[in-house]
Amino acid sequence: MRIRNGWAALLLGVPLAFMAAFFLVPFVVVVVASFQNAAGEWSLANYARILADSYYPNVLYTTFKLSLLATVVSFLIGYPIAYYIVNVVRSRAGRRLCYILVIMPLFTSNIVRSFGWIILLGRQGIVNATLVTLGLTERPIPILFTELSIVIGLTYILVPFMVLTVAGVLQTIDKSLVEASLDLGASRFVTFAKVTFPLSLPGVIAGSLIVFTLAVSAYVVPSIMSGGRTVVMAMSIFEQYGSLFDFNFGAALAVGLLVVTLILIALSLFFIERQPSGRQAVQ
Amino acid sequence: MMMTVSERIGRACLVIVVWAGLAFLTLPLAIIVAVSFTETEYLKFPPQGFTFRWYERFLADSSYLESIGLSASIAFGATAIAVLIGVPAALAITRSSLPGRGVVNAIFLAPLILPTIVIGAALLQYASALGFARSYAALLLGHVVIVVPYILRTVLASLARFDQSLEEASLDLGASGVSTFFLVTLPIIKPGIVAGALFALIISWINVELSIFNSTASLMPIPVKLFNYVQYAIDPMVAAISAGTIYVAIVAVVILDIFVGIDRVAASQK
Repeated sequence: MRIRNGWAALLLGVPLAFMAAFFLVPFVVVVVASFQNAAGEWSLANYARILADSYYPNVLYTTFKLSLLATVVSFLIGYPIAYYIVNVVRSRAGRRLCYILVIMPLFTSNIVRSFGWIILLGRQGIVNATLVTLGLTERPIPILFTELSIVIGLTYILVPFMVLTVAGVLQTIDKSLVEASLDLGASRFVTFAKVTFPLSLPGVIAGSLIVFTLAVSAYVVPSIMSGGRTVVMAMSIFEQYGSLFDFNFGAALAVGLLVVTLILIALSLFFIERQPSGRQAVQ
Repeated sequence: MMMTVSERIGRACLVIVVWAGLAFLTLPLAIIVAVSFTETEYLKFPPQGFTFRWYERFLADSSYLESIGLSASIAFGATAIAVLIGVPAALAITRSSLPGRGVVNAIFLAPLILPTIVIGAALLQYASALGFARSYAALLLGHVVIVVPYILRTVLASLARFDQSLEEASLDLGASGVSTFFLVTLPIIKPGIVAGALFALIISWINVELSIFNSTASLMPIPVKLFNYVQYAIDPMVAAISAGTIYVAIVAVVILDIFVGIDRVAASQK
C-alpha cells in the first residue's frame, strides 16, 4: 500500500517533532555550550583546557586502549559462538537455547552484570580460589580494580552484540557456496578461511564498530570495575555534569570524545577499504 | 559429507570454545542468584545454607519498592510513547516517497550509536535551561529517545518482509486505507511491534547511563539506586535485589521466545 506524501508527512510530523525537541535540540545545546564560557561568551577555553596538560589526553588514551582490547576479545569469544549457532547447531531448540544464553545477559543491567564479576574476581573470589587450588599461583593475585578487570567487565557486556551482529550476516551467506567449495575438494578449514570468513567480514566490521562505540562510552562498568583507580572519559564527563556542575567543560569533553571516536572509526574504515578484500566487505 | 579426523578434532575444539564462551556469559548471573540465598552476613560463595532473609529485607524497605515502581512506570510509559512514535514513522518511511526519508530514518536510529552518556548530559543541560531538570518528565522523555530505535528497527523489518498484495486485496475489496491498516497491516506486523516493545521495555528498565543525570535522592530508578549502593557496600541484600532483576530478564526472554521465537528476534536485532 502506498501512502500519499500528504498523509506520510502527517504520520511523520509528530514523531519527527518529538525527536527534534528532545534529541536534536538538546544535542545542539551541548555543542553550543562547549564553545561558551561560564558567562555565556563564545570561547575556545574549554577545548584549550582539555589539551592544557597530559591528564585528559591520557584519559582519552586509556579509554581507547581498553575499548580496543575489549573489542578484540569480544570478537574472539563472539565469532565462534555466532558461527556455531548458525552453521553447526542443527535443531531449532538448540539454536533457541544458545540465543537465550546470549540474550539473557543483554536483558540485565550493566550494574548487575558488573556486580557478578566483583564476586568472581575478588581476592576471596572463585577465580582466585581456582588459581590457588590449581597451584598456578601461591596467593591470590589482584585482578579486581585493575585495567584487566575493566576489560573483562566490558567484554562481558559486549559479547552479545558481537554474536547477534555476526550471526545476522552469517545467516545470509549462500550455503551453496560452501557446498561447492567442499565438493571441489577443499577441507572444511580451507572452506572456512577462503569462503565463509571473507563473506562474514561485513558482520565482523559492523559488530566491531558497535562494540567499540559502546565500549568508548561505557560508564557503569569502568566505574565499578576500576574501583576509582582508572579513569575513562565517560567518568570525567559525568564528574563535570554530576558533581562539579561545570556544564560547559563537560560539554567540551563529550564533544571531544564523540569527535575523536568518529575520526578513529572513519580512519579504520578508510584503511579497511584500501585492502582489496576489505573493499567488498565495506560495500 | 564425511569429516576427516582433523576436521573432527577441529569441530570438537570449536564446541569446547563455544560452550566456554556461553558459560562465561551465564556464570556471573548464576553466581549472583546463588549468593542471594546465603545465610551469612557477607557475600560468600559457595553460599551457606538457604534463606529468603535478604529478599524479605529488601521487600520491607519501601525506598527499593518505590525505585522499582518508578523504573516500571518509566519503562512502560516510554515504551508506549515510543510505539506511538515508531509505528507511524516506520509506515511513512517504508510506504511513501517522501523526500528526505533516509535522513529521517538516520535521526530516529541515531540514539543507538550516540553514547547514552552524551544523550543524558544533553538532556540534563537542556532540561535545566527549560526548568524541568531532574524530574519525572525529563527521565521519561529521555527514555523515549533511547528506546524509539528498537521499535522502529523491528517494525521496519516486519514491513520489509510484508506481502503487500494482502493490503491491495483489502483496498480492492473496498476497505479504506485506515481500516486496511487496522484489519490487515497491524495484525501482520504485530510480532515485530511486540518484539520491539519488549526490547524497549528492557532497555529502559536496565538503563543507568541516561537516568543517572536526571535522578535525585527521591527520584531514583532501581538500576541507579543499585549503582550508588554497590559503590559503597556489597552485601547479600544487593545480591538479592540484583537476582530479582535477573528473574525479570528470564521472564522477558521466555515471553519473547513463546510469542515471537527468540531466534527470529535475534535475527531482527543485528
